[in-house]
Amino acid sequence: MLTKKLSIGIVCPYGWDTPGGVQNHVRDLAEFLISAGHNVSVLAPAIHEAQLPEYVVNAGKPISIPYNGAVARILFGPKAFARVRQWIASGDFDILHLHEPAIPSISLLACWAAEGPMVGTFHAAAKHQKVIYAIGPILEPAIEKLSARIAVSEAARLTLTNHLETDAVVIPNGIYAKRYANGEPQQRWSGNTIGFIGRFEEPRKGLQVLLDALPIIARFAPDVRVLVAGPGDPKDVEESIDPQLRHRFEFLGRISEKEKADFMSSVALYVAPNTGGESFGIILAEALAGGACVVASDIPAFDSLLGGGEFGALFESENSAELAKVVIELLRDSDKRGALSRKGKEHAQIFDWDVVAEQIFSIYEMALVGAQKITLSSDNRPWNRFLSKDGDKK
Amino acid sequence: MKTTLAIALLVLTMLWYLSFLATRLDRLHHRVETSWANLDGLLQRRAAIALEIARSESCDPASSLLLTSAAYQAREATVQERSSAEMALSGALGLLMIHGHMHAGGAEQSLFDELRLLIAKIQVAIAIHTDAVSSTQMVRKKSAIRFFRLAGTAPLPVTYEFEFDAL
Repeated sequence: MLTKKLSIGIVCPYGWDTPGGVQNHVRDLAEFLISAGHNVSVLAPAIHEAQLPEYVVNAGKPISIPYNGAVARILFGPKAFARVRQWIASGDFDILHLHEPAIPSISLLACWAAEGPMVGTFHAAAKHQKVIYAIGPILEPAIEKLSARIAVSEAARLTLTNHLETDAVVIPNGIYAKRYANGEPQQRWSGNTIGFIGRFEEPRKGLQVLLDALPIIARFAPDVRVLVAGPGDPKDVEESIDPQLRHRFEFLGRISEKEKADFMSSVALYVAPNTGGESFGIILAEALAGGACVVASDIPAFDSLLGGGEFGALFESENSAELAKVVIELLRDSDKRGALSRKGKEHAQIFDWDVVAEQIFSIYEMALVGAQKITLSSDNRPWNRFLSKDGDKK
Repeated sequence: MKTTLAIALLVLTMLWYLSFLATRLDRLHHRVETSWANLDGLLQRRAAIALEIARSESCDPASSLLLTSAAYQAREATVQERSSAEMALSGALGLLMIHGHMHAGGAEQSLFDELRLLIAKIQVAIAIHTDAVSSTQMVRKKSAIRFFRLAGTAPLPVTYEFEFDAL
């Protein structure tokens, strides 16, 4: 790593106080860089200014718009643009790191307004995004200002090459692998248990696929239990479950990081039946780091994270019969389970922040070769330069 | 009066657009230059390490000769010949890393470790540079830019071909 301490500006497009993968990633990255001694400022929209950590600058209240199959809390408009420009002008940054600059957000605004070494990280993987063809010509001049692009997964990179005709370096999302490595197996979660973590009310998380597979699984493994953790109201889901199987379900609600580590090392299998909309699958990286044996749907993000089945078992997405088959096979074969989880745990080290941040930082170094600072691009326009010179004379 | 105003407006818009395009192109040329400077620096470092390995004791005379000549060729190559020269050096290093470094001692081992780190960086640098070059070439194909010669005398950036597998 560079010995020189940098001043780094990071832009997070999504509301800071709503949970989400990008926000977590930005928070961890910022904290990692700060602990390495760099000067970091994060610009993000937020609802409650009082609860922000001191390195976050509030860009204003986000608005909710539907985007990519979910509701995104983002921010744009002239007022936000002025805020972004002010942040750039007063920050005296060496480098800007923009997250998700290809959506209408403050990241795009910052990309538009700034000049100098910029790095962009693309998180989303969209299956069909015809809109982007229409807005491509507007986006292109902004996106091409980025000195380097990072995609969090092969799927995100493909979205980029297909829709914006630009390539990116794949650097995965980071996790603190050590926090998950030392989970203590809990008696109450052990046995023939299947774990599931996530907002189970969202259809794309695929709990329904697991529910459909359970009758078959229960026939072959009578003592199987399903542990569901994550925020949400279990009432509706519980009612949709066959009454005979209802006692096999346990809803744990939201669990802490420590409990998550214990959870991953206790359950016999961790199942991720997501049906799509996932670009990276951070939860799988955490499950692998925690030593869980993972079964996941074969959506592109999971397929590449699990090395095509090398570090965890895959089943055809939305096919509950195949899920049942894979689960039964693994529940019966503890040797195979052990082998998979050992391999997975080893593999999870590549997602550790020590490794990931190093990679991101080496991208920063490459972007910094020109060695100018971040300025507002409007300051560099010839007529403005002329006007400001005039001003100096007076 | 109205037509003059309309024409004036049109001319102004066109001027603005042309200046916008010129800024855009200038920025892209700058990006190509910095990404090339970065890649060039990394490649020079690799050549230096290759020479150091060639002079070390773990290297037999034959592979030392191969490595030295490849490293010098890579250093002295022109921009156009650069990628093929660097590819030859990659090949020579690859041969050595597969067959040679098994009996490498402590000092050489650290050289090889450094080399491995450097190669990972070079791969990323190549990807960044290739991207900069291809987007510059794409923008320079625009008819407005060609017609008004907005690129000026800047040479068209050379695509740097590099086989990732060879590294």
